[in-house]
Amino acid sequence: MSASDLAGSAASNQSAPSIRWGRVAREVLRTVASVLVTILGLLALTFFIGRLLPLDPVLAILGDDASQEAYDRMVVQLGLDKPLWQQFLTYVVNSLQFDFGTSLTSGKPVTEDILRVFPATLELATVAMILGTGLGIPLGVIAAANRDTWIDQVVRVLSLIGYSAPIFWLGLLGLTVFYAGLGWVGGPGRIDILYQYDLTPRTGLYLIDSALAGRWDIFADVFSRIVLPASILAYGAMAYISRMTRSFMLEQFSQEYIVAARAKGASRTQMIWSHAFPNIAVQLVTVVALSYAFLLEGAVLTETVFAWPGFGRYLTTALLRADMNAVLGCTLVVGLIFITLNLLCDIFYRAFDPRTR
Amino acid sequence: MTDTPVTSSRTSLRAWLEAPAASTPRQARAQAAWRGWKRLLANRAALAGLIVLILLVVIAAIGPLLTPYSPMSQDLSVRLQPPSMLHPLGTDDLGRDIMTRILYGARITLMMALLVALIAGPIGLIMGATAGYLGGWFDIVAMRLVDIFLSFPSLILALAFVAALGPGIENAVIAIALSAWPPIARLARAEALTVRKSDYIAASRLQGASSTRLILRHVMPICLPSVVIRITLNMAGIILTAAGLGFLGLGAQPPSPEWGAMLASGRQFMLTNWWLAATPGAAIMLVSLAFNLLGDGLRDVLDPRDE
Amino acid sequence: MKKHANFLRCVAAAVALGAVPALAETPADTLLMARNIDAISTFDPAQIGEVVTNEMIQNICDSLVSIDPEDEASVVPAMAKDWTVSDDGLKITFNLVEGATFPSGNPVTAKDVVWSMQRVLKLGFGNAATLTEYGFSEETAETDFVALDDYTFEMNLSRPYPIALILQAVASNRVANVLDSEFLKGEEVDGDYANKYLTTNSACVGPFALRQWNAGEVVILEANENYYGPAPKLKRIIIRHVAEAQAQRLLLEQGDIDVARDLGAEDLRDLKENPDLEVVSTPLHQLYYMGFDSAKPEFADDRVRLAFKYLVDYDALADTVMAFLGVPRASVVPLGALGALDEEEGQPFSLDLDKAKELLTEAGYGDGFSARLFVGTLPYVAPIAQHVQENAAKVGIDLQIEQMANAQLFSAFRGRDFDTIMLSWQTSVPHAHGMLSRHAVNPDNSDEAGLTMFPTWRASWYNEDFNKRVDEALFEKDEAKQIEMYKQLQLDHMMHGPFAYMFQLLDTAVLGSSVTTWKWNAFRVYYADIEKG
Repeated sequence: MSASDLAGSAASNQSAPSIRWGRVAREVLRTVASVLVTILGLLALTFFIGRLLPLDPVLAILGDDASQEAYDRMVVQLGLDKPLWQQFLTYVVNSLQFDFGTSLTSGKPVTEDILRVFPATLELATVAMILGTGLGIPLGVIAAANRDTWIDQVVRVLSLIGYSAPIFWLGLLGLTVFYAGLGWVGGPGRIDILYQYDLTPRTGLYLIDSALAGRWDIFADVFSRIVLPASILAYGAMAYISRMTRSFMLEQFSQEYIVAARAKGASRTQMIWSHAFPNIAVQLVTVVALSYAFLLEGAVLTETVFAWPGFGRYLTTALLRADMNAVLGCTLVVGLIFITLNLLCDIFYRAFDPRTR
Repeated sequence: MTDTPVTSSRTSLRAWLEAPAASTPRQARAQAAWRGWKRLLANRAALAGLIVLILLVVIAAIGPLLTPYSPMSQDLSVRLQPPSMLHPLGTDDLGRDIMTRILYGARITLMMALLVALIAGPIGLIMGATAGYLGGWFDIVAMRLVDIFLSFPSLILALAFVAALGPGIENAVIAIALSAWPPIARLARAEALTVRKSDYIAASRLQGASSTRLILRHVMPICLPSVVIRITLNMAGIILTAAGLGFLGLGAQPPSPEWGAMLASGRQFMLTNWWLAATPGAAIMLVSLAFNLLGDGLRDVLDPRDE
Repeated sequence: MKKHANFLRCVAAAVALGAVPALAETPADTLLMARNIDAISTFDPAQIGEVVTNEMIQNICDSLVSIDPEDEASVVPAMAKDWTVSDDGLKITFNLVEGATFPSGNPVTAKDVVWSMQRVLKLGFGNAATLTEYGFSEETAETDFVALDDYTFEMNLSRPYPIALILQAVASNRVANVLDSEFLKGEEVDGDYANKYLTTNSACVGPFALRQWNAGEVVILEANENYYGPAPKLKRIIIRHVAEAQAQRLLLEQGDIDVARDLGAEDLRDLKENPDLEVVSTPLHQLYYMGFDSAKPEFADDRVRLAFKYLVDYDALADTVMAFLGVPRASVVPLGALGALDEEEGQPFSLDLDKAKELLTEAGYGDGFSARLFVGTLPYVAPIAQHVQENAAKVGIDLQIEQMANAQLFSAFRGRDFDTIMLSWQTSVPHAHGMLSRHAVNPDNSDEAGLTMFPTWRASWYNEDFNKRVDEALFEKDEAKQIEMYKQLQLDHMMHGPFAYMFQLLDTAVLGSSVTTWKWNAFRVYYADIEKG
């Protein structure tokens, strides 16, 4: 849902005027200003949510049994006795330096935790992205080329199922069938625990690390584990990408140059792949990039089911454990990623889209 | 219907709707809607979605008549029964009939989706239409707000809100609505921007119509169709978010037969008694798919580039 | 255990230069255990409050004494090789093991014991209550715990508490974990007594050492090669975080792990039939109970609280939802503790709607009332809550269930912000006093007192008579008489107490065929004794 909204915003910039440098400078300034305002708003929102949470961070540190004196002491220590605006100010200043405080549940700085868990999610999302794009784009093109035929309908239903199924439910079903039943894929978790300490992390992406180390046995293990969660995540991304591709292609088909090309006797395949497709490439890059954001959301539930030690699971655990610093840090990071992706797409769009040049 | 001839027979209505040239604006609009309707019917997938949804509404309305059981009454002696003649979808861990619970759950699901639409729709519409029409600082502030809300995945935002408000169906609805209005506002704004400069708005303004009146009477009605479609498209997402909240224990509370909550409590029986989790999961998927099919069809029908 | 032919793994391996896929059998010197370890937030013995971490720290840090693996009611030497008690019963002198060294190389001395125990009081985390309950305090810490010389440690009591109880409740507890004071003083930050360092590290002597903890991922313990006691049988214990019970079961059945710790009743029933696996259980001194806010007029009446005890079909739940997970228990003292009522006397209630209705009518609530019921997220909680809810509805009481994360549940309970609530309470001593001291005693019921460590205070329940009798029973020297007093206290508590106890919980694990020895009791799991074949 969110990813398509972002795509919508990128698409709404299609009509940007042709480049004139003075205007560019002004626009860049305006964009920077608006991003800054958004980030400040983001900070305010996370702070506000954090204060609203009926979770007691003091209790989370001290334990259920703590005495009232110890409790009061900790309130002061955490700065929770200061006026709200002061707390907010501290929060903003610290956050801008990527200091989100110490996680109550891991005892480490939240930033360190996020850096530790992020590669797991990145690897999962990337594999999912490759699968989703590899399937989604061809399916979308095929559907568009065969518009309103049974092929179109089949692609439509197949991809809409990807939109419609509760992702955690697919995960559980997948594990039951492919791991427990058929034994085709590896179990929950990212890597066999016994391998984990044989592997020196270089990139944090285990597929690459194991390949670099030449440990193909580890590579096989990691691969067998990532296949299922990535496929399930990819399903949603594939649905989105194929729907968007279809829509972009249909738009191209209605353009005059295609009609003209057809009149000149270009073959169907030629028309689709050498004429129409290159023209939607820029739009597609945007869609694919924004799908990453979509995957981040899917990761929250998928990682819970697959015991995947990534960002999504870190966030849900923190939420359930009243780990306020971690919750706020994570939401903020997600927000920043969204804003950055959105901004990058915007810039990319303006720079490369043939129609805006 | 004052400016059109009142027709009593179906055929003449049809003729009026399919006349090659519309004689009044009203007829033109009616004809466009008619063509859209026929295109929707021709789209089998969308039609299937529509039929499932109609069925769902019927089931939600008459569900209690279809089952001899109550969705709440427990009987530990018949717990975890597999599907049978007595219990077509089996029983759950407290011996409740699952089919009965699914039937009653349809009401909750529909109600939640509807409530979210009723809260998020108007908020988004008013914010978007006003921002688009007025422009200026209101537009800037409103759109920044939208940007901020959109910079979170909706589930994460809803999660945070529901954690703040406390668990329960009402709070889940509010939380989902809070995360659902921004895209609608953005859409309504885009529509409002296009009509803002149109001649008849300018004309009305010259005649001294107030901004409030213009927004309410002219801008909002024009934004309405795309907003409705957008909400239909979002319904599936709303239902999935609600189920996700239920799955994480933050949505409907026991013993409510809400599907997400049923799925969450059934998942511990996945390997021993699959039907506890499989049925509510399938129900969620079916309804969500129906909304998606319908929404997808609607988008096709109304997408100007397909005309 | 046989490993499934792993199709994709083979394909991937074949692609990868035809390398041979690794055998996924767990190694012989390593125990792989799946458990939900989300609750772990620290490894500092002064701060640990969760059952999961407690089990681990007991295998990482030795206390003065330990619980006998063969008899949970008695203690055996650990860091203290023996001890003597003064005639007035106010002084325990511990003689420490000589020659034990910390991983840093520092010798273990009585100074370390003093520093470690005083530290608990000074830090003031929840665990300080373990000490303050028996009269130790931050103010008197200097004289409560004294090092006479390097190997002699003296504990001074303010009252002649039963020595056996002090040994169990204090000397074997994690508050008496002996930490490397010399080394840790170097790790202090802002006078935190190395709390920050100990959150993720260990600096003590025990059969295992904490090698790594990644929150929400894994805990790795490694055998201590310089251990002064008998060497652990296994080299490594890996506790892997698997939150989903279903995933734990799959891992176990596929032979990817040796032990699964959090399985539900239905899975356990299934796995019991599997000849390759073994289901083992031990009763815990942990009770699952329903609490009522006695500050609310309806729950101030003993008869209303009593009525709730007739709203539970104990046997039906024990056979279904709680199978392998708990046994019915209505007494405040768990079975197995000194002074506990026997099985029958300790559980006289059964589902009886008429009786409940009668009690409610007598109390003036014949027409019922409505109240909120707060519960946590453990799998068996929702069914029990709904079961009680349905029966309550039949006698006119309308309960609205609200399920919440444990952190939130504790907040509500501590804040006296609830109507009714369901949770569990675990005591660390096999002695009636362990429960009664918190569940029958409430020194001061005022809001200002803020005695949040007393569930009685949280429930706004206060009874002068119980306060007095629990104290008298504790100091009764004639054991037969003492047991009689405890029994009467339990019976009275059943009728007038603040809580409705429902189940005594069991700890149930499933072992793969690779595990040949698994040793545990109500208070400990002995990692050092685990063997694989």
